[in-house]
Amino acid sequence: MPSNKDDGGWKKFLWDSEKGELLGRTGGSWFKIIAFYIVFYGCLAGIFIGTIQALLLTVSNYKPTWQDRVAPPGLSHTPRSEKSEVFYNRNDPETYLPYTKALRNFLAKYGEELQRDQMKFEDCGVDPAEYKNRGDLESDIGIRKACRFSRSLMGPCSGTEDPDFGFKDGTPCLIVKLNRVVNFLPKPPSSNESIPEEAQPKVQPNVVPIYCTNKREEDAGKIGEIKYYGIGAGFPLQYYPYYGKLLHPHYLQPLVALQFTNLTMNTDLRIECKVFGDNIMYSDKDRYQGRFDVKFSITSL
Amino acid sequence: MFEMDGEMDKKKKKKKKINKKEKMEGMKKEMDIVSKRQTPQGFRGLTSAFAAQVLERDGPNELKPPKGTPEYVKFARQLAGGLQCLMWVAACICFIAFGIELARGNVTCFDNLYLAITLIAVVVVTGCFGYYQEFKSTNIIASFKNLVPQQAIVIRDGQKNQINAHQLVVGDLVEIKGGDGIPADIRIITSQACKVDNSSLTGESEPQTRTPECTHENPLETRNIAFFSTTCMEGTVTTGMIINTGDRTIIGRIATLASGVGNEKTPIAIEIEHFVDIIAGLAIFFGFTFFVVAMFIGYAFLEAMIFFMAIVVAYVPEGLLATVTVCLSLTAKRLARKNCVVKNLEAVETLGSTSVICSDKTGTLTQNRMTVAHLWFDNHIHAADTTEDQSGKSFDQSSETWRSLARVASLCNRATFRPDQEGVPIPKRLVVGDASETALLKFTELTVGNIVDYRERFKKAVELPFNSTNKFQVSIHELDDPLDLRYLLVMKGAPERILERCSTILIKGQELPLDEQWSEAFQTAYMDLGGLGERVLGFCHLHLNEKEYPRGCPFDPDEMNFPTSGLCFAGLISMIDPPRATVPDAVMKCRTAGIRVVMVTGDHPITARAIAANVGIITEGSETVEDIAQRKRIPVEQVNKRDARACVISGGQLKDMSSDELDEALRSHPEMVFARTSPQQKLIIVESCQRLGSIVAVTGDGVNDSPALKKADIGVAMGIAGSDAAKNAADMILLDDNFASIVTGVEQGRLIFDNLKKSIAYTLTKNIPELTPYLIYITVSVPLPLGCITILFIELATDIYPSVSLAYEKAESDIMNLKPRNPRQHRLVNEALAVYSYFQIGAIQSYAGFTDYFAAMAQEGWFPLLCVGLRPQWEDVHLQDLQDSYGQEWTFSQRLYQQYTCYTVFFVSIEICQISDVLIRKTRRLSVFQQGFFRNRVLVSAIVFQLLLGNLLCYCPGMPNIFNFMPIRVQWWFVPVPYGILIFVYDEIRKLGVRRFPGSWWDQELYY
Repeated sequence: MPSNKDDGGWKKFLWDSEKGELLGRTGGSWFKIIAFYIVFYGCLAGIFIGTIQALLLTVSNYKPTWQDRVAPPGLSHTPRSEKSEVFYNRNDPETYLPYTKALRNFLAKYGEELQRDQMKFEDCGVDPAEYKNRGDLESDIGIRKACRFSRSLMGPCSGTEDPDFGFKDGTPCLIVKLNRVVNFLPKPPSSNESIPEEAQPKVQPNVVPIYCTNKREEDAGKIGEIKYYGIGAGFPLQYYPYYGKLLHPHYLQPLVALQFTNLTMNTDLRIECKVFGDNIMYSDKDRYQGRFDVKFSITSL
Repeated sequence: MFEMDGEMDKKKKKKKKINKKEKMEGMKKEMDIVSKRQTPQGFRGLTSAFAAQVLERDGPNELKPPKGTPEYVKFARQLAGGLQCLMWVAACICFIAFGIELARGNVTCFDNLYLAITLIAVVVVTGCFGYYQEFKSTNIIASFKNLVPQQAIVIRDGQKNQINAHQLVVGDLVEIKGGDGIPADIRIITSQACKVDNSSLTGESEPQTRTPECTHENPLETRNIAFFSTTCMEGTVTTGMIINTGDRTIIGRIATLASGVGNEKTPIAIEIEHFVDIIAGLAIFFGFTFFVVAMFIGYAFLEAMIFFMAIVVAYVPEGLLATVTVCLSLTAKRLARKNCVVKNLEAVETLGSTSVICSDKTGTLTQNRMTVAHLWFDNHIHAADTTEDQSGKSFDQSSETWRSLARVASLCNRATFRPDQEGVPIPKRLVVGDASETALLKFTELTVGNIVDYRERFKKAVELPFNSTNKFQVSIHELDDPLDLRYLLVMKGAPERILERCSTILIKGQELPLDEQWSEAFQTAYMDLGGLGERVLGFCHLHLNEKEYPRGCPFDPDEMNFPTSGLCFAGLISMIDPPRATVPDAVMKCRTAGIRVVMVTGDHPITARAIAANVGIITEGSETVEDIAQRKRIPVEQVNKRDARACVISGGQLKDMSSDELDEALRSHPEMVFARTSPQQKLIIVESCQRLGSIVAVTGDGVNDSPALKKADIGVAMGIAGSDAAKNAADMILLDDNFASIVTGVEQGRLIFDNLKKSIAYTLTKNIPELTPYLIYITVSVPLPLGCITILFIELATDIYPSVSLAYEKAESDIMNLKPRNPRQHRLVNEALAVYSYFQIGAIQSYAGFTDYFAAMAQEGWFPLLCVGLRPQWEDVHLQDLQDSYGQEWTFSQRLYQQYTCYTVFFVSIEICQISDVLIRKTRRLSVFQQGFFRNRVLVSAIVFQLLLGNLLCYCPGMPNIFNFMPIRVQWWFVPVPYGILIFVYDEIRKLGVRRFPGSWWDQELYY
């Protein structure tokens, strides 16, 4: 470390013309030390890259080594909203344009014209059915076919008839999907015990049901009817499992469209949606795991 | 006696003022009364009312305690160090960031608030800890203080009262008798054989007579003034008038002189400050650079500020100051067990870097009690045993002459033991009597046996005590043989006076005529003993003629109706305040450790020199200029001063020397003795040594030492003999007064310096793996690998114990054979240490951390290349379906927990590497295999502790949400292990190179 005993100390430290020292070292000394560090760091970097390469060899390209963080899956919705709020004025298209745009973008890849290639897609029926096993992850079958999922299944929320997805009429749509998790098989609820009474009618075989309701007691009755569009008004099992990006590049995950047909205007409403299944869990810390809640605030003035 | 230079004039003036009693009408009246009535019984003293008035004016008669720093200032200092300030800044940034987030309505983000509170807590807790350590060590001193108030007998309103000495005022008449402490500076009015012990004030070991006559201009030399805090050794009622009280007394002025001396910064404090400055500078430099870089890359101002804060938190070694404090206090504790109490923690190390010890003589090097050292009888000088525990060799006691000499010494002695001391070893017993009689009493008790019985057998007929005109003492006794009716006259006194009165001399039991030859032999012996700095007494006796002096003969001491000449000379006994037994060895050890021992005393040059030669401060064969002159028979001026190794300088000579001459003298003579020095001169000597670049330790016990003790880099006071003033001024106290403890102190000081180096190197290393995650995070935008809270856990929880455990490491080499470190060259933290820790070991640790980080990310689905640039999406709170390398969609919270997992694996990597680091830090030069893996048990337990704590943090339920630790997979613990092994192997190679090729490029660049 430099010592700055006298006034000229720093200057002399920077460049000592007597000894020809720059920053306390001569040119030769600098050369030696720099050479040493180049070798040293070169070796270290080599070891590091070698270890990382070795590490990547142990990691499969198809099957994640661990999935304990990503499963059970999250429940995400489109349009995404800042602070989980859907907030707009139905008389001012500017305010809901971002929402409709997001919906349009999201549904673009569900266009029927994109799903025509028979090599990539197959029909999996319009009724809920059993899991569709396409072989082991690690087997050499290669790329798997994806089930078709047409946006028309979304009904009024498909955006084909109503480009505003109901936002203009105060009946906004939300499109909900269960997050993709490789090799994850959602299990429909085996008993009705954990399911609220109102949601029980939605339980049917081969479907993971979704049910939305008011989050707060005081909003009861203000929500109005919620319509569910999609196969079995939930997540049908024939779309599972997912084989990952490499083996399942065209995979379309099943969607459920929610249309809030009779929301009370000019007030804050908190709505919570939940999917129900034996292997779908909720967490206090993660408000998007197996459920989400969203706040609607629509002004009509 | 010494002069107080400038002090003297002031003192004189003061005395005059008091004598004039200008303002004090009442006092004048009292003085008139005093001068009118000459008998002490007539003294009426002050009136109580007047005394109260004076008390109000002058304040109580006590030394004002030196102004200590107020407690809150001490505490505030603990909170305002360089690193602490940085942490305050970081905490402020956190608060501001939190405030802005809050204002934006983002209530969910409490991390910044949390961090700010933690940072403040860290500063406050370490501050409290440091304060507590300081408080504890000062507290030890407080317990030394004598809480019993001194009492004094004062004459007021014509009545004797015993009052608290604090109440005394100028003009009060006080009565003192043997054994009392002098309650203030007093002028003696009446006295009877009064002697005071001035050793604590002047360093003289012999008691001084006090009489009413003024004998000298200088108040310190005159006989009629006794000083505050000295003790009256003997004498029946002595009356004196108080001339100075409280801080105006001589001792008060020395105390003021001491408190005027600024406290020198300890070398370790300078070292720590030096490197804290560097660390703080680098932290700000790094922080600012990356602040600019972040702004340049396009981060928002607030984000850049948070980066700045994070870099500061990552780079600053939060636990370091606590570690240093603990290491020092461990050594302090170890020293306390060896009877060295350290007042100021940092002083622990100072002794280790000490290169000069200025030692007081009386009480430090010597036992501070007169002891019989030599005897001369049968024309031989016999050495007596002067050791404290009588473990030394005794002389041949078979001679008849010895029996006669012992009889004279036992009988012609008025000193007696205080009662009830049967269990106490003889040298430690309390005695009533003056110093030489005490020495003789103890000597005869040890050699002859029970002196009380012995004196019973020889009944005393008459006694003539010692007085300054006769210079001898005589008593006449009956013989113990009931058939022998002769009387025995015994006499002792100044040798030349005794010899004058003798006509025969006892040799081997035979009375031989005292002719020229014996006279010469006597002279030679007398000179020899005097030259040893010893006080010599002559002894003679005479059997009185039975017919002339029959039993019952009325002897009269005033008329001296008994013969006092024609006696038979028995021998000489010489006494000295002998050196402590352990001192010569300790001085020798200091010498091998490259430490110079200089004696600085208030005592006479001859005595000082004799003791110095005795304890090895002046080694055998070393000569002073005077010795050379004498040997070569040339004038002193012609001697080349460089030839003389030793030099004795007295206070008088010192007064005429300029500071350059003093420096020159200290430079050219390795063996120095300063005699007859005043407190101020001691100070000058210390300053001169410091000018020459030495770290100076001063040992002393007296009040006169206290300014020098304070000025020294480390003042060492004696615990038993030491005065409170000395203890207050000192940094260290030797509880057993054993000079040898200093050697222990030096050894421990050097060890702790080496070990602190290791501790600091260990602590600094991990700052790099803590810092690099942020740098990579900012520049490459990977998800954050290591969080601030986790860093704080490494700094303040897991790594504290191992870094402290390095303080228990044994020395690598024989540190007591090395020269003291040069404070300008051997820094605590040098370039090599920092560079090696930061850029080599720290770099390896960073790689280990990133390897483990990428392993954990890849195995969970995030391949390394995907991570690059992922940060904006990764940290988007509203993005609930971010795709990983497999196309899986992650919610924000899932990603956050994954990030915590990364924190934890990075934490674990640092821990694993730090285990390897603590092992390599055990030695700087030797192989760890040579030092032994398990010899430092504390270190082993520290590693176990570190692992257990790491596991607790990882796997204790609730940790993820409180401290951001996740239960990680077991295999991630093993990813960094190869890097740990690499660190160990690399360091062994480094040490091998350093050992094999000393002085090579490798040694220069890589040995710290």
